[in-house]
Amino acid sequence: MGTFCHVDKNAFPIEVGLCYILPRLEVGVMAVNAEPQVFLFLSEILGQPLIGPEGRPVGKIVDLVATVTEPYPVVTEAMIDREEQRGDLFLCRFPEVEEVRLPIHADRTTADDYRPPELRENELLLKDSLLDKQIVDTHGAKVLRVNDLQFLMARRCLHLVHVDVGFRGLMRRSGLEKLVDLFLHTFFDYNLPNQYISWKYVQPISTPDLLRLKITQDRLARIHPADLADIIEDLDVNQRSAVFRSLDVETAAEILEETDPKIQVSLIKDMNAAVASDIIEEMSLSEAADLLGDLPRDKAEGILKEMEQDIAEDVKELLAHPEEEAGGLMTSAVLHFLPETTVEKVLAAIRGEAEDMDFIYYVYVVNEADRLLGMVSLRELLAAPMAARLADLMDERVISVHLDEDKDEIAELFAKYGLMAIPVVDDLGRIKGVIPFKNLLEVVAPHLGKK
Amino acid sequence: MSERNEEGKKVNIFRRLFQKRFWRSLGLLFALIGPGIITSNVDNDAGGITTYSLAGAQYGLSLLWTLIPITVALIIIQEMCARMGVVSGKGLSDLIRERFGAKITVYLMMVLFLANLGNTISEFAGIAASLEIFGVSKYLSVPVGAFFVWWLVVKGSYKSVEKVFLVACLFYVSYIISGFMGKPDWGEIGIALVTPTLSADPAFLTMAVGVVGTTIAPWMQFYLQSSVVDKGLKAEDYAYTRVDIIVGSLTVNIVAFFIIMLCAVTLFQQGIRIETAKDAAQALAPLAGAYCTYLFAFGLLNASLFAASILPLSTAYTICEAFGWESSLNHKFTEAPQFYGLYSLMIVLGAAIILLPNMPLIGIMYYSQVINGLLLPFVLIFMLLLVNDRRIMGEYVNGRTMNLITWLTVGILILLSLAIVITSLLPA
Repeated sequence: MGTFCHVDKNAFPIEVGLCYILPRLEVGVMAVNAEPQVFLFLSEILGQPLIGPEGRPVGKIVDLVATVTEPYPVVTEAMIDREEQRGDLFLCRFPEVEEVRLPIHADRTTADDYRPPELRENELLLKDSLLDKQIVDTHGAKVLRVNDLQFLMARRCLHLVHVDVGFRGLMRRSGLEKLVDLFLHTFFDYNLPNQYISWKYVQPISTPDLLRLKITQDRLARIHPADLADIIEDLDVNQRSAVFRSLDVETAAEILEETDPKIQVSLIKDMNAAVASDIIEEMSLSEAADLLGDLPRDKAEGILKEMEQDIAEDVKELLAHPEEEAGGLMTSAVLHFLPETTVEKVLAAIRGEAEDMDFIYYVYVVNEADRLLGMVSLRELLAAPMAARLADLMDERVISVHLDEDKDEIAELFAKYGLMAIPVVDDLGRIKGVIPFKNLLEVVAPHLGKK
Repeated sequence: MSERNEEGKKVNIFRRLFQKRFWRSLGLLFALIGPGIITSNVDNDAGGITTYSLAGAQYGLSLLWTLIPITVALIIIQEMCARMGVVSGKGLSDLIRERFGAKITVYLMMVLFLANLGNTISEFAGIAASLEIFGVSKYLSVPVGAFFVWWLVVKGSYKSVEKVFLVACLFYVSYIISGFMGKPDWGEIGIALVTPTLSADPAFLTMAVGVVGTTIAPWMQFYLQSSVVDKGLKAEDYAYTRVDIIVGSLTVNIVAFFIIMLCAVTLFQQGIRIETAKDAAQALAPLAGAYCTYLFAFGLLNASLFAASILPLSTAYTICEAFGWESSLNHKFTEAPQFYGLYSLMIVLGAAIILLPNMPLIGIMYYSQVINGLLLPFVLIFMLLLVNDRRIMGEYVNGRTMNLITWLTVGILILLSLAIVITSLLPA
């Protein structure tokens, strides 16, 4: 399982970890080893009293505040519930501790160390925002629930290093760890492993604020769009739109292309037209048209108005055709040239437009009236001399379909001729667009897996 | 491009948009009548039908009036669940886990698993009993039923499964038809319906409590909220959801009404004692005709199969949701092992226990009712705390009047479920 690091206390990469934690100190490995380090769980700290200077409990620890720093957040404050007045919460600076000793003693705490329970920038309430909540494991691309948080005690501070997502953590929290161990050991000779995820791969998602934390910003963007789309489908509606809104326009467009149409609609419906149009412009034309077709009419019109004129025109053209016919499957971004164009010019044009094209592997040759004459593949272009004209290279036996051709017929053509794309023409044989194989696959694929 | 062409295209776009919209509104209508109706109808499961038959056969029409307050309570409780689902986008076990922590959730889920397992056993008992009336041995009917249920859910998609469930809801009509076959005296029934009757007889009270307990069960709050979330219903759809819930709660009690009434006007008046729903079906033949028996048995089969499909599914969903395990019918077995494992375990155990000779079935049902009764107060209190939590519900928290009504309802239900526990534990 690549998802989890099965860490025991000895296997933790102390050198790596501490060098990050202590960038200012030039620590040698010897010095590091001399430092006592201990692991501690959040669940062990919560509910414990914080012992003040006079040896009397100041109150009960109900949460911990961590400042988010690279690579691991450091616990800076404890949220205290005063015993005498329940519900009266305040923050107290987390004492520097030499070794883990519960309850925690705050011997040198002074009045300056207290503050009202309001978070500053880049601070995080650990129990409130992580414990028992969902997170995204950006390494394994999964949504998981946090059973516990594990701290490393180093340099007198607690560093949040691991998130516990395993069954063992769950059993520990419910006080059944020993019982389950005994049971599994006796009957199955099995030791229940710990399942930790390094903080480096954790993206908290329980509130929209967490998605704006400086440190965590690009963690989601590192996930493959198809995986991130699956994750978004797993989230609840509120988290879903929060995560979606935290993404940059290009990632958002890629995610949209990968998600289920129903979810696409719910994500876009609540956005204002200007933001939505920026995202939709980044999508492939045919995907954009499908999405707009699924939206309520006034919303779709609003977005179309905000979009760049030429993209909007192309999308409208696609919208005019049913989704399951050639006209609805095609993208109108198609490379076509006159027969006398030279290879050099064609290649320059491809270079210039490749960014905005869904499909560049075939170029089509047309006459002045846009009537389809033939096609040339990118391979042939690259192999041909720069001065050659398309008229000499083109294959005139080009397979094309009419705008209203049905998807099943198109699928048969793809299979028969082994093509990567099929151009679409109107009644007069004028080229209107091209159907890349990927577009067809999206329509046909849902029917393939069914038994 | 010519002017005319431009115009034509525009019309085309609008027509397409309109067409999509039309189908969507129609789809919306059907989409929205899912969760409430299905949840309520599953509630008329084998255990429910048995309880209603016994109530009618032993106490005649005197318990009929309880259906009115039960309907009201059911609507109030389900409305809160649906509201939480719509506003938070999360299932009930998800909210309980996030708000009350791991420890409480682990124990709650263990109890819920046991309670639902008990219910599942009684569903398979219902399958066995109903098909025995048609002359099918339980050694054939239970394995086939278990396989059918497992196959339906594992091999079908969620959409097709829901359609099957909605069709199953329609089959409850068989009870209404069989009700008419008993040739009831509507005047007398109307009076009984609106006349609260109470008796100090402990057996009578136990039966009254049983009718309440079988209609409002812990698992349904989890199931309803999850299916509302699964549908992706939003706050703006909420008005429809409320209708769905009211219709669901009404239909469940209409079916209950017909069962109690039929047994009252036939079995009770002839003084026939019965112990199970199967007895009830068989005793109906000489009084209301053989078709009435078959309809009654068919209804029982439908209800048992229906609930046997949903209970294990709902349990697996609820538990996986609480612990963050992958839970979806769209995943393969290896991707969601806990989900399919729990689901299959419940079906296998439920069916196997019925087939074991000398199993104390009555005892199992008794204890499953006790566990349900113990669980319900906790679930209801958690629900009330959650629905009043502004961090979760925002402006959709209960209002003052609503809180008064709900705490009152919940208070009464808690007392009643404690009563079930006590009476079940007392020697009969």
